[in-house]
Amino acid sequence: MENENKKILDVKDLKIQIKMDEGLLTPVRGVNFSVYENETLGLVGESGCGKSLTCKAILGINGKKAHASGNIDFYKDGEVMNLLDLKPDGEKIRSIRGKQISMVFQEPMTSFSPLFTIGSQMTETIRLHITKDKKEAKEIAIDMMKKVGISNAEKRFTQYPHEFSGGMLQRALIATSLVCHPRLLIADEPTTALDVTIQAQILELMQQLQKDYGMGILYVTHDLGTVAKICDRVIVMYLGKIVEMASVRDLFHNPIHPYTRGLIGSVHKIGGKKERLFSIDGTVPLAMNLSDVCGFEDRCTSKCEACKGCEPELTEVSEGHFVACYRGAEFANGGQKNV
Amino acid sequence: MNNKEELLKSKEERALEKKRLKQEKYYMSSQWQLMGRKLLKHKLAIFSIVLLGILYFCMIFSDFIAPEDLENYSAKYSDSPITKIHTVHEGKFIGPFVYAQKFKFNDYGQKMYYEDTATPHRISLFVKGTPYKLLGFIKGDVHLYGVKNEDGTPSDVKVLILGADNLGRDMFSRILLGSKVSLTVPLLGTAISFVLAVIIGGVSGFYGGIIDTIIQRIIEVFMSFPTLPLWMALSAAIPTGISVTNVYILITIIMSLLSWPGLARTVRGRFLSLKKEDYVLAARLAGVSDFKIIVKHLVPGFMSYLIVNLTLGIPNMILGETSMSFLGLGMRAPATSWGVLLQECKSINNIANCPWKLIPLVFVAITVLAFNFLGDGLRDAADPYK
Amino acid sequence: MSEVILKVNNLCKYFDSKGVTIRAVNDISFEMEKGETVGIVGESGCGKTTLGRTIVGAYVPSSGSAEYRAADGEVYDLSNIDKKKMKELRKEIQMIFQDPYSSLDPRMTVFDIISEPLKANFKLKKEEIEEKVKFIAEKVGLKTEFLKRYPHAFSGGQRQRIGIARALVMYPRLIICDEAVSALDVSVQAQVVNLLKDLQKDMDLTYIFISHDLSVVEHISDRVGVMYLGRMVEYADTASIFEKPMHPYTEALLSAVPIPDPDMNNERIPLAGEIPNPANPPKGCPFHTRCRYCTEKCHTEVPEFREREKGHFVACHLTDTSMIKGIVKPKEGM
Repeated sequence: MENENKKILDVKDLKIQIKMDEGLLTPVRGVNFSVYENETLGLVGESGCGKSLTCKAILGINGKKAHASGNIDFYKDGEVMNLLDLKPDGEKIRSIRGKQISMVFQEPMTSFSPLFTIGSQMTETIRLHITKDKKEAKEIAIDMMKKVGISNAEKRFTQYPHEFSGGMLQRALIATSLVCHPRLLIADEPTTALDVTIQAQILELMQQLQKDYGMGILYVTHDLGTVAKICDRVIVMYLGKIVEMASVRDLFHNPIHPYTRGLIGSVHKIGGKKERLFSIDGTVPLAMNLSDVCGFEDRCTSKCEACKGCEPELTEVSEGHFVACYRGAEFANGGQKNV
Repeated sequence: MNNKEELLKSKEERALEKKRLKQEKYYMSSQWQLMGRKLLKHKLAIFSIVLLGILYFCMIFSDFIAPEDLENYSAKYSDSPITKIHTVHEGKFIGPFVYAQKFKFNDYGQKMYYEDTATPHRISLFVKGTPYKLLGFIKGDVHLYGVKNEDGTPSDVKVLILGADNLGRDMFSRILLGSKVSLTVPLLGTAISFVLAVIIGGVSGFYGGIIDTIIQRIIEVFMSFPTLPLWMALSAAIPTGISVTNVYILITIIMSLLSWPGLARTVRGRFLSLKKEDYVLAARLAGVSDFKIIVKHLVPGFMSYLIVNLTLGIPNMILGETSMSFLGLGMRAPATSWGVLLQECKSINNIANCPWKLIPLVFVAITVLAFNFLGDGLRDAADPYK
Repeated sequence: MSEVILKVNNLCKYFDSKGVTIRAVNDISFEMEKGETVGIVGESGCGKTTLGRTIVGAYVPSSGSAEYRAADGEVYDLSNIDKKKMKELRKEIQMIFQDPYSSLDPRMTVFDIISEPLKANFKLKKEEIEEKVKFIAEKVGLKTEFLKRYPHAFSGGQRQRIGIARALVMYPRLIICDEAVSALDVSVQAQVVNLLKDLQKDMDLTYIFISHDLSVVEHISDRVGVMYLGRMVEYADTASIFEKPMHPYTEALLSAVPIPDPDMNNERIPLAGEIPNPANPPKGCPFHTRCRYCTEKCHTEVPEFREREKGHFVACHLTDTSMIKGIVKPKEGM
């Protein structure tokens, strides 16, 4: 995969710290991954694992309180630039935002301003990045709306967000984010607020658009079902760290990290046997004043002596399959799994 | 070595235990405790609380702190500027003292004050002066500071730290004594409109339907009146012959009559939104009676919001009382309030020649700002669960 | 199984707003037995929450009845009952809410929240209340020292446990779970689902489990009802619904559920368009605008909700349902 496709994004040792009244919160604690063209990379984790903050750091929209360190290298025409070095409101990052990297949010309702028509909000991006001409911008926008399956696009162009249903609005949002043919699309739980039938439509739409445009997608979600459906590779995050990274098949058929196994085990597979669901005991700790032990240590059912030492590094156990667990190699070779 | 390690460990454990206890305390803090914590972090609000505390403290003890009462006229000191306080007389340090003010007329017939540097008059603490009743019942005649004669009797030399008015009365004393009205009318008025708002807004929000519609229309009518003319009309209706206390009460009532509609709206709005909360439905399904739901879930739910609104409403009342008195429609002499004091500033002559007469304005502005900052802090703290 | 605990007959709940009538619950009938779990599924706006709230007595039904067999063996019509009796029945029918944040009063301690139903319904001594609350708290997995805390100290999963304890403290018989696990994280969801199952066995509970999440519903339910635009379109035992559905909407719904297995994602049956506006539902079968098997008859006639096979109720004009596909069973050993 690495040879076929070009790298778009390289995140190296990304850390995000937020100063709170109670102390220093570190929701993202050193994350490394790359996104390639034409692939969908899933970022999975429960609330508070730092997945949304990681995405927002790529676009530099985390606000002033969150301090990000590390590298986010963006590859563009053979050039490499570290997005974290750019000023968050500067000219350069703004030329990347929307044009090179765009984002789709969870709530389509709040992503559009209720005061302007969908059309005017779509052409705003186009006129900023592609053409100044009003007429041409409109054509591009309507073209894009048709592509994402909005019927009657000319009429829809002049309508306001409240006249759209949730699914339609999400389509419009995707159309807006893809209108400049970005090389990377960040989708932060784009279907969580939608019904299953609409969700399926949107997922298929995203797959289709990826085929057409060849962009990389960073797909953030907590829903393992959608991950299995659309992702090529998956990253599992826990407490601000990557615990496992693998191709989607490896991850679902041969999960290694106890957390991943617990997560997969706790979801009932439709049509599967009605066994008691596996559940991970306890709750996710707050990412504040953490000690050096493995972050999952207190909830893990397979812990060993080594876990009480320093935190395990992300290591490759088989080709393309990375795990941050001291017993990773053992589990990978068919060692005793408690799940 | 071993011992040391153990000691270190137990130290660590103790620190951890301490942290745990702190956390536990946070978990067990009620809404008001959480609000207090958040408010304490709002520096401007804390500063305002301290400032307001000082103002109200001075108000309570105004008779004692003020060197004179309201009727200490003195032609000798009419329009006298701020008295300079010296410490060195003829090259010798003798502690804080003042010179007596003398005046002569200049070529244009204006009074020009100058200091009679012949004799220094030392400022002393706890000077006997005009008798007063502190808080209305504690008799006394000792004032915080002043000038006394050799034999201990009060001297007629005045220490005017904020100047004098055109009848030679000490502005500082008048501002302090005037605060008794200016600082309490808003509080009392707010209290009255609070009661009205909770009852009327609560009924409107809880029962809904036709009652709600009628009350809302009435509120709209009330809110559509221009405030100032209405105040003027209402206070013009106060008969001239009645006592100061009655004027005070009537003015408070007028102020509160005009401010409850906004508050009632807030109460109704909160009531309506709280009614939809799942925990209210849960209580209903558990068989809890309507009355108990109101008292236990709804009222505590909007209390914090109401307090914020009340605090933010106080400045309006202060300004209202001041403007009414300024226009001569509120408190009338011999009673005084900050608005009454500002009446003298109606003429440009007065402001140009005696700028210290504008000082009551500073007090009004500081009080209004302090209440606004406090309200701001309370608003940030009002929803501690975010 | 044994006795019928709830029988819903032609239940309707209409809302009037600005001159428009929204038929949130339209002519719904089903029955359920004691000790079983009935899942109600459907997309947002289909009326499943309204159905639950109407049964529990939060709304007065517009027409129809809900016959409930109480602990004393008598059958009461919940839609037409005097206040005093209703208050008594409240002890037997309780609800668990979706949002673990808005369902707990932030100003009350956990103890006060759980004991509120007790204080409202029984005259108990302080010690008795304390004992009962402690017992139930332990049962749902809350440490007793947590009782003095306020809700803000807890995460979503623990808050949901508090909500469950409040619902259970009066030993109800029927519990309506309205999206009780939907707002929770995956691993916490599993904890709560397991807890609900354990409690059901332990305390002999009957659940109506309302959810949009089909996999959770399949896991927990004995029977499932599928709702669309205020109507129930299919009602049968879980296995039949998922493996041999008879309604085209059920088929489409099932095919849309993403399965957490990359090799198993079934072909989706495309569902044209979107859910019509509930204020203005289509004439005839409510689903006909999106149905791929739609015939002339569907445009005009509302299909009757009737028993096609034993215990399998469907509202559809189709006579031959053999082409309607259910889910693909995962291979064994996976």
